[in-house]
Amino acid sequence: MNDNPNDAFDELMRRSLAEEADRVEPTDALPEIRARAHAQRRPAARRPWVLTAGVAALGTAAAIGAFTVFTGQQDSANDGDTVAGAGTTTSATGVPSSKLPRTPVVTPGPTLATPTTQVATKAPTDAGVPEQSVKSAVVPIYWLGDRAGGTSGIGPKPSAQARSTTRLYRTWSKVSGRPAVQALRIMTTKSPSDPDYYTVWRGAEVGSVLQSKDMVTVDFKQLPSTRLDADLADVAAQQLVYTVQGALGSGSMPILITQQGRIGAKLFGQIDTSAPLGRAQAADVQALVSIDSPENGQVLGDGPVTVQGSANAFEATVNYQATNLKTRAVVKGFTNTKQGQKFAPYLFELKLDPGSWQIEAYLISDADGTISDADSKIIEVK
Amino acid sequence: MTPESSWDADEALTAVYTAHYTSLVRLGALLLRDVGAAEEIVQDAFVAMHGRWHRLRDPHKALAYLRTAVVNRCRSRQRHLVVVDKHLPRTLPDEPSAEHAALRTAETDRVIDAMRTLPEKQRTVMVLRYYGDLSEAEIADTMGISKGSVKSHAARATKSLRQLLERNA
Repeated sequence: MNDNPNDAFDELMRRSLAEEADRVEPTDALPEIRARAHAQRRPAARRPWVLTAGVAALGTAAAIGAFTVFTGQQDSANDGDTVAGAGTTTSATGVPSSKLPRTPVVTPGPTLATPTTQVATKAPTDAGVPEQSVKSAVVPIYWLGDRAGGTSGIGPKPSAQARSTTRLYRTWSKVSGRPAVQALRIMTTKSPSDPDYYTVWRGAEVGSVLQSKDMVTVDFKQLPSTRLDADLADVAAQQLVYTVQGALGSGSMPILITQQGRIGAKLFGQIDTSAPLGRAQAADVQALVSIDSPENGQVLGDGPVTVQGSANAFEATVNYQATNLKTRAVVKGFTNTKQGQKFAPYLFELKLDPGSWQIEAYLISDADGTISDADSKIIEVK
Repeated sequence: MTPESSWDADEALTAVYTAHYTSLVRLGALLLRDVGAAEEIVQDAFVAMHGRWHRLRDPHKALAYLRTAVVNRCRSRQRHLVVVDKHLPRTLPDEPSAEHAALRTAETDRVIDAMRTLPEKQRTVMVLRYYGDLSEAEIADTMGISKGSVKSHAARATKSLRQLLERNA
């Protein structure tokens, strides 16, 4: 091997990596970093961990904060995350004011003997233990979305009623560390991969998730300051309940929300958090039709595209339409879920030419023939 | 005493951020092929750097600290992802962030594709060497391995890449 080809190789490597790197233009994050850096400099977080571990052993309210320092070591930079600012206002104003008085979705587990009666404002001292840290897990993250949001004007317009109702939609994320903490972190600081979805939890700062025998305590360093109307606040609270339960793999544990170890904050200016929140019925809060795969923005090779999701559909019918965003070519059809009137999986295949496609799955109201519920994904077929 | 060492943590953060944030995110993106994750990791590293500025007290040390933090976090994340990929119940999308950016040239395409075939350590060494422009000693420090290992990873990576690129040329 002489030197010349190596020089050419070096040159090729430099050029290619530089070119690849130049495609990345990060957005300005200095305000966010600064906010997080300062949020971290709370006395509890600054103590050396040996000392905090000692404090934790006392089992005081401070222990919850201390655990955060502890987990931060394992969860690789998981502590002290605040994302405030721009996102908060956007999500807040993007919120439709729901006028539909639906059945109350928050069921504050009345049967539970909550220790909150004895201790006025402190969270129960036996809040439990942190979840196991795992090398990797795939967890569902729930977001808010409008029932018939994201449709490209197929079929009759959804009724005003359907438009104004918010539901939970789900995406999947790979995480490492403590699954529920990581899932909450994504829910409170990230944007969902589907632009039709949003979160009202921006600005919240997750502290810890502790599991005890009969409930889960989610401690926030900072709860979101957004104020919402009552209906939306209920669904937003369920966004947390569903995400935490999904990550922990336990659908029945009620969730107690605390802020810096204290209970009773009014969440979104509406929700009483002095008692744990139970899981609302899926039919009341979950999107009645959703596409799980492909994900928004996914690039697929040739061959038929398999679309999978779940729906709670009248007579089990799920309609679909794929629209080529350039040629406006349309592929339509319908399929059935395994079972009507309850949540059941569905699946259909689409043969699509190369290009950008919007795939929509939707339900038609049996009452008036309008689109009552929909989910959509934009994908790229190569 | 240099003027820099009298900076408080906020001044240091602003200065080091301005000078190095973009290149650190790019470094992370090359290692992970996921811009969003790279941004997150680099931001975490800056938050950590701010917290320990009173010990670093020097922008060069701060940069070395950041680089090490970013490389380590990218590497551990990558290792997790490899494990997850094997057990994924269904397909997850390629990171869309990599796709909407400008198209790259065919030549870069081939190099980046070839880089994907390398084991994680070899790829990290190559990225630090050719994008980071680091010396063997600096790479060894950043990755926490010996200079000899850096040399052998680089040699093996070079060999595989050259073969791949010649074959596909």
